[in-house]
Amino acid sequence: MRKLLAALAVSVLALSACSVGGDDTGDADGQTTVTFRLWDDQVAKAYRTSFDAFTQQHPDIKVDVQLVPWADYWTKLPTDISAGTAADVYWTNTSNFGLYADNNQLLPIDDDPGWVRSVTALYTRNGKLWGVPQLWDSIALFYNKDLVSKAGVDPTNLTWDPTGAADTFLPAARKLTVPGKQYGFNAAYDSQAILWDFVGSNGGTWQNGDTFDFADQPKTEQAVQYVVDLINKEKVSPSAADTNTNGDKTLQLFTQGKLALFQSGPYNLKNIQDGATFDWGIAPLLKGPAGRVSVVHGVAAVASAKTKHKDATLQVLKWICLLYTGVTAAQPAFVDYWKKLGVDVQPFLDAATGTTFPAPVGPRVSAGGTAVTPILQQVFLGQVGVADGLRKAQDAANAAIKE
Amino acid sequence: MSPRVPGAGRPRRDTLTGYAFVGPSLIGVVGFLLVPVIVVIGISLFRWDLVSPARFLGLDNYRVILTDPAFGRSLLVTALFVLLVVPVEIALGLFLAVLLHRRLPGSVAFRVIFALPWISAPLALGVVWKWIFDPSDGALNALTGHRVEWLSSPALALPSVAAVSIWMHVGYVALFYLAGLAGIPEQYHEAARIDGASSRQALWRITLPLLRPTTFFVLTTNVITTVQTFDTVYAMTQGGPAGRTDVVASLIYKEAFTSFRMGRAASMSVVLFVLLVAVTLAQQQYFRQRITYEIG
Repeated sequence: MRKLLAALAVSVLALSACSVGGDDTGDADGQTTVTFRLWDDQVAKAYRTSFDAFTQQHPDIKVDVQLVPWADYWTKLPTDISAGTAADVYWTNTSNFGLYADNNQLLPIDDDPGWVRSVTALYTRNGKLWGVPQLWDSIALFYNKDLVSKAGVDPTNLTWDPTGAADTFLPAARKLTVPGKQYGFNAAYDSQAILWDFVGSNGGTWQNGDTFDFADQPKTEQAVQYVVDLINKEKVSPSAADTNTNGDKTLQLFTQGKLALFQSGPYNLKNIQDGATFDWGIAPLLKGPAGRVSVVHGVAAVASAKTKHKDATLQVLKWICLLYTGVTAAQPAFVDYWKKLGVDVQPFLDAATGTTFPAPVGPRVSAGGTAVTPILQQVFLGQVGVADGLRKAQDAANAAIKE
Repeated sequence: MSPRVPGAGRPRRDTLTGYAFVGPSLIGVVGFLLVPVIVVIGISLFRWDLVSPARFLGLDNYRVILTDPAFGRSLLVTALFVLLVVPVEIALGLFLAVLLHRRLPGSVAFRVIFALPWISAPLALGVVWKWIFDPSDGALNALTGHRVEWLSSPALALPSVAAVSIWMHVGYVALFYLAGLAGIPEQYHEAARIDGASSRQALWRITLPLLRPTTFFVLTTNVITTVQTFDTVYAMTQGGPAGRTDVVASLIYKEAFTSFRMGRAASMSVVLFVLLVAVTLAQQQYFRQRITYEIG
């Protein structure tokens, strides 16, 4: 999964005006240091500011914010946990938290002060909530205003339909494509922003519990076939040879003005704001036969069960609990931040509160993803058929999570 | 040299003094080589994902990997990769060394240029080559004017990575051959010329046989580094497409750090280690009979 947008985090953290209630049970012997690990350096700055305020209220607790870059995060975390050197509180995402929850590495969160269901559900396992949601991301459709107006396309209410009957999206994508120069849409092997959203909006499935369940599912197959056809048959999207090995290819094409419609998450807001030299807007993500269904993925802070200062750690967790009061409360700050820059981000908020599709979960879900990726990349290249590829990918993924 | 009886007074003290002197460097060998090797062999007997408790499996991991088609294919890919890379690397390195040895103008500058890729970080070079091979915006396709999907084509991916690997190491090979060439006394060539040998005959009959110690060294070290190739593959293809470039080191990395099967990754490493030792011993055996330091 992608790292999340810093500005969103900053605005979420800006809600820190609320004060911490409850008992203040700091350690008696001098100052305790609670360590806090995350991967985003801009959010780290915001946390540091916030924790300065925390220490003013709790002079006996200091919070040491440690930054581990995304590239190393998921290899360093398990090795540090195994060595006993992991932080007291750390960030995790949906794909990776199950392993720690199932192995008694986390402290359960007892009270849930009304957070967004779609996000807290991702962090609930075995009937308990294990993480304090920090950030979320959902999917919407970025569009290049110049290109759509030139082609006479209205991007705000596009529908895809595998039977073709109600399909308003494909004709629009065709109009927006200029062979060799410009692409209409960013169909690619991008699970979060493309694949699972198409599967979800066709009423298909991906997982059943922790088990992968996408092969021999007519609706899932139909959705994947539609996406693959966008690339290899309709050619409204760049070749998978370009996008498989370069995850940022479509972002680059969009910011270069060579891609008209770019379905993606708020994690790309800042990149587009910085990179695009044209006018752009955000529309709701594509609607399918089963409606508009967005993947919602969250980042949560979890507390290590191995912490040496449980009381202080819980105080820190409580503090960041209060920072995050859900999409509804975060909405004004997030919306205002981007409104000042002339960007309307409402489609992201609508996507998060509308029908959502959960990102895969499970203690060994990343092993499953590793098994799936090379096979689905071949499917996207057109080297393997969709039904055949999904079957092989599912077998490989379920074999990988079993061990 | 007179043979010494173990346990005789003075020589033994000498031995101890000797060990005392190498002691500090032994710490490095033991701490960073021997202990990790033993630990890896230990881990290979367990099922361990770093987070949940390790479970003893005995030789189960070995049974699983030796029947796992992915591991078999990976060994095959690695063997193919070595066959693509090492002979070309050595031939090209030797060719460059012979050219450079003639002290043509600018040969010092070329020596530096050839060695540059070898001293640069392979991961960074891999990333740069990935850009060069990019099907739409890559320099290579822009130059040839044809769209070739170098790294996505099952047929071209491994040769493309191999070409980059050759480019990286050829300067290193050339440097060793240059040193080898410098060590061949000029008289041999002079004598051959006087006897009427052509320069081609001199190359095959004098230069190449006398370079065998260099060839032995270069071949052994290059086979080992090529078998262990990881960074280039990781940066360029991540083992794709369809596992066509999934060399053993890349598979081991994925087993360990994205699938978190430490035991299985460790057992693969042990198998690779045993294979490498076997190949190296075979090479040693072959060259021991053929290395000449004098013209026979």
